[in-house]
Amino acid sequence: MPGDEGLLDRVVDWLPKTLVFKRVASWTLVPLWARLTPVKPLPGGPHLSFQHGDNVQCMMNLIMPLKVKSPIGRAEAALAIAQNKDAIFAGLNNVGTVHFARFVIVGDNICMFSVYDGDFTNYIRDFIATIGSVFNAVVELVEGGDDVIPCEENVEAFIQWVHERDLYQVPDTATDFLRDQEALNGEGAVSGNDDLTLLPRKLVLQLRANANVSLGSGYRAYPGFSVAQVRKQLGLGW
Amino acid sequence: MVDASVAKRLVQAIIDNLPEPVPGKRPVHTIGIGVKGEFVASDVARTYCIAEHFKGQPVPVSVRFSNGLGGLEQHDGWSDVRGMATRFHLPDGRGTDLIATTLGEFFVRNVEDFFEFADVAKLEKYERRAWWRKLGDLLQLKVPPRNPYPNETVSVDAGALRYANRHRFAQLGIFQVSLIGAPVSYARASYHAVHTFWVTGSDGARRPVRFSWQPVAGVRNTDPKAVPRDKYLFEELKNRLRRWPARFMLMMTIGEAGDALDDPTKPWPGTRIRVVMGTLTLIKVAEDQEADGERISFNPCRLVPGIEVSADPILEARLGAYEVSREMRGGCPFRWR
Amino acid sequence: MFDLADLQGNILRGYTKKPHVRYLILEVADPIAARRWLAASVSGRSDGVPQITTGNWGANRPDTCFNIGLTYEGLRALGTPSASLEMFPNEFVEGMTARAWKLGDVGPSAPENWPAPFNEPKRIHLIATIYAENVEQLDEIQERALTDGRALRLLAIREGCSFPDDVVHFGYRDNITQPRFEGVHDPERYPDKQPRAPLGTVLLGHPTNLEGLKWRVPLPAALGHNGTFNAFRVLEQDVAGFEKYLDRAASDLLEHPQVEELLPHGAEEKIGKGLSRRAALREIVAANLCGRWRDGTPLALSADAPDPKADLTDFDYVGESRCPYGAHIRRCNPRGGQIVQRVANNSRRLVRRGVPYGPAYDPAKPGDRDEPKRGLLGNFIGASLGAQFEAMSCDWLNLGLQDPRITGSNDPIAGANDAGTSWFDLPLKSGGSIRLRGLPQFVRTRGGAYTFLPSLSAIRFLGSPTI
Repeated sequence: MPGDEGLLDRVVDWLPKTLVFKRVASWTLVPLWARLTPVKPLPGGPHLSFQHGDNVQCMMNLIMPLKVKSPIGRAEAALAIAQNKDAIFAGLNNVGTVHFARFVIVGDNICMFSVYDGDFTNYIRDFIATIGSVFNAVVELVEGGDDVIPCEENVEAFIQWVHERDLYQVPDTATDFLRDQEALNGEGAVSGNDDLTLLPRKLVLQLRANANVSLGSGYRAYPGFSVAQVRKQLGLGW
Repeated sequence: MVDASVAKRLVQAIIDNLPEPVPGKRPVHTIGIGVKGEFVASDVARTYCIAEHFKGQPVPVSVRFSNGLGGLEQHDGWSDVRGMATRFHLPDGRGTDLIATTLGEFFVRNVEDFFEFADVAKLEKYERRAWWRKLGDLLQLKVPPRNPYPNETVSVDAGALRYANRHRFAQLGIFQVSLIGAPVSYARASYHAVHTFWVTGSDGARRPVRFSWQPVAGVRNTDPKAVPRDKYLFEELKNRLRRWPARFMLMMTIGEAGDALDDPTKPWPGTRIRVVMGTLTLIKVAEDQEADGERISFNPCRLVPGIEVSADPILEARLGAYEVSREMRGGCPFRWR
Repeated sequence: MFDLADLQGNILRGYTKKPHVRYLILEVADPIAARRWLAASVSGRSDGVPQITTGNWGANRPDTCFNIGLTYEGLRALGTPSASLEMFPNEFVEGMTARAWKLGDVGPSAPENWPAPFNEPKRIHLIATIYAENVEQLDEIQERALTDGRALRLLAIREGCSFPDDVVHFGYRDNITQPRFEGVHDPERYPDKQPRAPLGTVLLGHPTNLEGLKWRVPLPAALGHNGTFNAFRVLEQDVAGFEKYLDRAASDLLEHPQVEELLPHGAEEKIGKGLSRRAALREIVAANLCGRWRDGTPLALSADAPDPKADLTDFDYVGESRCPYGAHIRRCNPRGGQIVQRVANNSRRLVRRGVPYGPAYDPAKPGDRDEPKRGLLGNFIGASLGAQFEAMSCDWLNLGLQDPRITGSNDPIAGANDAGTSWFDLPLKSGGSIRLRGLPQFVRTRGGAYTFLPSLSAIRFLGSPTI
């Protein structure tokens, strides 16, 4: 009887939890479905929004593969940051909209994660203006970076280059992820025949197209406030 | 106000979808437990809301935790929405309520939606999916529907999914219900009041807000892979409170222009300003469960000056529906301030 | 030095003696004919297609002025080579409607609600502007511009007319300050506390205000060099709503415990002859929302009352300026005042050319349901739409990022306000402030387009039979 809990039933319940199934599915089912139902990579950066809370404490998550994939390449990146400590602080203070910025080496990638206020292009442009040399020193070490440096002379291209490397921010709610995909495909806002059970596949295929993503839009302890508001309230000047 | 006949129809639609009606009891959230405690507002609460219970003096409260399921069967371990209804007993003898559940967003926007939902999401026979269909799901990179719990023969899951596929606004709420699980304790879940309210601050500013209770002990669900137990939540709460009080923080999120103010299906993003409004300390399970739990008739619209309802049609409908339900079971009437 | 004759005249000149302005919103009908039309517009012949007015008038002031802007779709429709098209900046390529969320074009201002022709932005290819002293001249130039029906198809017109004394719909004197440029304007002639702007603020191919930064110039140089960009905006103004709000704010203030500090008893007369206390408070609110009294006096120079002797432009927001941080003119251009993004001081300046449309509001008949439509046809010109117009709009006008005291509020006059959440702080002499709330949206966007204002060389380049 199909409804009973038989051996086959238990096997099928157990199967998706096994590593073997996940591996085999990754080699076979995932590419198959990617062919049958192609998925476009969703664009990176914060979701477009006019609302105030969404325009402070925005995240930038860059993962940039180093040209030299060895301890030497990684050391070069480490040095590039260390040598520019003064410039980075000067930029931070003068641009005034960055909550924090972190440089991290993961594998043979140099990652730059930051939380900033306001519009992304203004943020990058202001930094080009104050500490473009730091960008140049880092991006020089990165695959594809040569085309956009010196950043001062390639402002538009540089900003675009950074934007293209900014990770997709998977929304906090699963259904917003579906809405992102629909918007990218130009599908209308209303529908009468969705299939919610396809959500897992859509997520798998998006993560195939977009291997590195940010999960959620960030969890904030004091959302809604800019750097300057925090500094002012704490009596630190701004 | 939604007229009385609509309120009656709403309650009837809920009752009609129960496995068996339970006269004299709440049609849904039937199984619950009353707890006594105290709420102390934070030092900033009064600047945002001038309501009596946010002034800072300790306010006695009665809380009723509940399982969402309708009917007398108790299945604590099933994946289900849990309720946390709170009555603040104000110094002047009045009361005000805050009704919250573990569901962050509702699945219908208004009364018409609800009737359609009730029509589509009827109790249906719920069976274990055949192995070969589950295999088919896996091959399509889908997750097969969960197996029924022991003794579970009917469910609204399939109907709710059909409804969600038809209406995008319902998808978040229904998706969340499907993953909601069972808390290890009533004191270890977050509860959301879902609707938008307007609060008035000490400077006269009115702000649209949403409230959530967050457990100080943290959120924890049972292992979904383990066999669910039917009865543990009451005992757990009694034992917990005998040892140590349980606390919740009351968080208030402030909406912005452009946020959904009258649509409980739409979430507000985590980027909105969030204010700590106070701490609730649960002291003991009420000795007289009848008086301090079952007989309290909560109403999400029982408010005091300083808090007002928004234009959320579901919130408006709940005012009447809770009253109709209260009348049917002979509970204490709604008292206007 | 560069040749003023290579620039379109409206970039550096306001044509202030020509009150009538008409915008022809055009679609390229046939690329070859349209290119011929462009060539004719710079041919020097005075009979056919109107001649583009340049920045160098020579000895004779022209009777009418004629200028053009091209959208990205327009450049494409003309057959501009893709190698050149690819060099235009993203915001221009995407067009104004795609940037709505940056510009505050949301809700009632959203492009989905724009009327024709702005509901079909891809069909808007060329916007021609005619400035003239009278409507007959406008008609004549329009006719000459459209004689060759094969070249351009007229989608719509928008027309405005300046009011006397540069007053605009909300009742303020406008058109006061424009950036003055290095190498163009004589600093002695134009007293202005703001530094003269580098030419790259308004022309491609010249140094910008951000040290060492250059905007990309689309190649060939003949196409991009000395060109600039324009944000053309149709901004509907709710004057009745504005006046009603002033009434309400004045009534609220009359009840306010600190109103004496805002307006000492007996000081009403200074605000305006014969004003009641309530009427004087209305004017104080109006002045603070804008940063100027209605006669143009900047609050930075005279915060207590309008002062006809005060200079209209020679001020800065340094020290104890009593211009509110959130006032419209301070938000749009914080000049040298303290702002969060220090590096951005003076970097987002714009050349503004605006003309009112619709009849002036008659306060004798307020609140009529069928108020005629009125507003502003605005042009916001700068060499980088992204670094100037958009940067100003999203960070300063809408978010208020430049000063923590206004962050989270919109521009009180031009912002996408929501009466439920909006606020504005009226500063008091003591250093405190009174918070006004409930400002509704006074300005709604009803259309617009990003255009490229090509140089004369570029028009010749685009007008050649084979680009």
